[in-house]
Amino acid sequence: MDIGTLSLFLLIGIFVLLVVGVPLGFATGLLGAIVIYMNFGVNGLGLVMQRVYDLAITYSIIAVPLFIVMASLLERSGIAKDMYDALNLALGKLRGGVAIVTTIMAVIMAAMSGIIGGEIVLLGLVALPQMLRLGYNKHLAIGTICAGGSLGTMIPPSVVLIIFGLITETSITALFTAAFVPGLMLASTYIGYIVVRTRLNPALAPMPDEAHVDISQEVPKLRAGWAPELAYNLIPVAIGLAGVALGSFVGFEDTQQVAAFIFTSAAAGLYFVFRLRNSDFHPIAKGLLPPLIVVDLVLGSIYGGVTGITEAAAMGVVATFILITIRRELGLSMLLESLEQTFRSVGTILWVTFGATVLAGAYSLSGGNAYVANLIFGLDIAPIAVILIMMAIFLVLGMFMDWIGIVLLTMPVFMPIVIKLGYDPIWFGILFSVNMQVAFLTPPFGSAAFYLKSVTPPEIDLVTIYRSFGPFICLQLAVLALLVIFPEISLFLVR
Amino acid sequence: MDEHTKKLIDSGSVATGILRWLIAHPPNETVTFVDRVNAFISRVAMFLTAVAVIVTFYEVTMRYVFFSPTLWVNELTLWMGSVIFLVAGVYAMQRRSHIRITAAYDLFPEPVKYVCDIVSALVVVAYAALMIGASFGVAWDTLVAWERFGTFWNPPIPATVKPLVLIATFLVAVQAINNLYVDTITHRKRKTERKGTV
Repeated sequence: MDIGTLSLFLLIGIFVLLVVGVPLGFATGLLGAIVIYMNFGVNGLGLVMQRVYDLAITYSIIAVPLFIVMASLLERSGIAKDMYDALNLALGKLRGGVAIVTTIMAVIMAAMSGIIGGEIVLLGLVALPQMLRLGYNKHLAIGTICAGGSLGTMIPPSVVLIIFGLITETSITALFTAAFVPGLMLASTYIGYIVVRTRLNPALAPMPDEAHVDISQEVPKLRAGWAPELAYNLIPVAIGLAGVALGSFVGFEDTQQVAAFIFTSAAAGLYFVFRLRNSDFHPIAKGLLPPLIVVDLVLGSIYGGVTGITEAAAMGVVATFILITIRRELGLSMLLESLEQTFRSVGTILWVTFGATVLAGAYSLSGGNAYVANLIFGLDIAPIAVILIMMAIFLVLGMFMDWIGIVLLTMPVFMPIVIKLGYDPIWFGILFSVNMQVAFLTPPFGSAAFYLKSVTPPEIDLVTIYRSFGPFICLQLAVLALLVIFPEISLFLVR
Repeated sequence: MDEHTKKLIDSGSVATGILRWLIAHPPNETVTFVDRVNAFISRVAMFLTAVAVIVTFYEVTMRYVFFSPTLWVNELTLWMGSVIFLVAGVYAMQRRSHIRITAAYDLFPEPVKYVCDIVSALVVVAYAALMIGASFGVAWDTLVAWERFGTFWNPPIPATVKPLVLIATFLVAVQAINNLYVDTITHRKRKTERKGTV
């Protein structure tokens, strides 16, 4: 069978099997095995196990279960709720403050976890009821939660980037470094949108006193003069973080120096919390510090070059575990539940990857990648048009498929083309990751909506949720356009 | 985990809690012998994630605090990781959380859905059969020869993980057939119940 017919057969085969509802990992695995059999006979079939085995003993994937354990422990502790209260204390008095707080909280949580789901559920439980009670526009509230919550897979650590790095053999650390600024860009456009929109139309986000609710209960007040104190007391944390950031730019010779920096900044922060026990700022510091310490530890270790990603993830788990123990929230059932949830997610992610690696291997050995590449070069269109077509494919697939399916089915074919066109694979990874941000929100199968729906009151239906996403999808596409036009935004930290 | 199980697990000592959880019924409507065995195996393997965290933390501490990095942690984690990844697939099948696209499936009428379920199970079985049939000999040889990793610590990773790939795939296929069987009997039960009320 020639390669053109084979490609057509595969496209139809995948389509039919997916429509029937066959689990993706097994549909791709079986098709891969059939392709191998047709091209290389029975003797080639040993390749199926070999591909799975090679993937199963890859060190960097171990970061995936570790980051998921960390996220599921955090979900079950009160750390996130306390952080939310602290942020509310600091910013709740602004117009649209609770929505801004929600976005900031989403960013900090995204810097602690690498998956989508838990974060949206948590914000849906904590932030949504408060915004609705205060009389916020429900579309604004829902959009903020889902767009913010999806950042978990954009801001490092991110499981999407880990899998992308594995499949395309790109440096995961470089991807993490590059994703940082685009991730924050997305978050700041969300915050900017909230600020502008609520200024123009204050009815969208009433202040606590306008909503006729008991202010002391909804948005706690600070005595006058809290702002200078806040600034003063954030200094040690800022110095620590700046130190780590500087360290990663300058490139410390001695990684132990960076490790020392990370620990000093964390310790300095803790010291100030205790010193401030009687001040107004104490509740804010107490709520914000634990998550910031975890972020500091995990991202500091990765960016500072102290440890690899897997080790940093393990450190994050240990730090979370210690925090939970200190907070006296530790329970056996909570630990077991976290392990259970992790195990299920890992099985889901990994077995799709196994199947796809079989198919990708079979197709590329049969000359499929070269065939598609020639087909595209034969079109004789501008390189950037090829990139735009690929992104259009991501967006369309994103309406129906999970990110993992998209990365596994498309990247083995797309990546060689991207490299051959002379584009930076890291830049392309960031574009992909922003595309997936859009995919989480686009109907009919944007997963963010399903996660939120699982915790919203029944009067908020899926249609309402999807209708809330419009402005946020536009913001994401705007950021995507900027990243396409100015690759330097993603790449300046990497070089 | 429901509230009752949670309380039961948290009430006693850690050991009894873990034991209770290991043998607890999987949270499905109908639970067969296969479900129980696969859930038990998975629940044992889950603890490897915790072990991986602990040994990795030990390694980082040894390296940066005591300046004596270990030789075995990296490979041990690799080994445990492979077990986690493979057995987790069995668990995902037991909990029916493998990724599928249900856009069209949800629109189908009941009988068509049933045919789709049969096709899905057949695909899983065919994949497993092709893989196991082609690689059984290789995996057996690796196991018998006790092939090692070829490093200083030299753990028998190929000798154990290659057979485990096949075992896990086999268990996944068994679980897939089991799921189909469970669906069939629940479907029949509902049908007779509906008839009974009319």
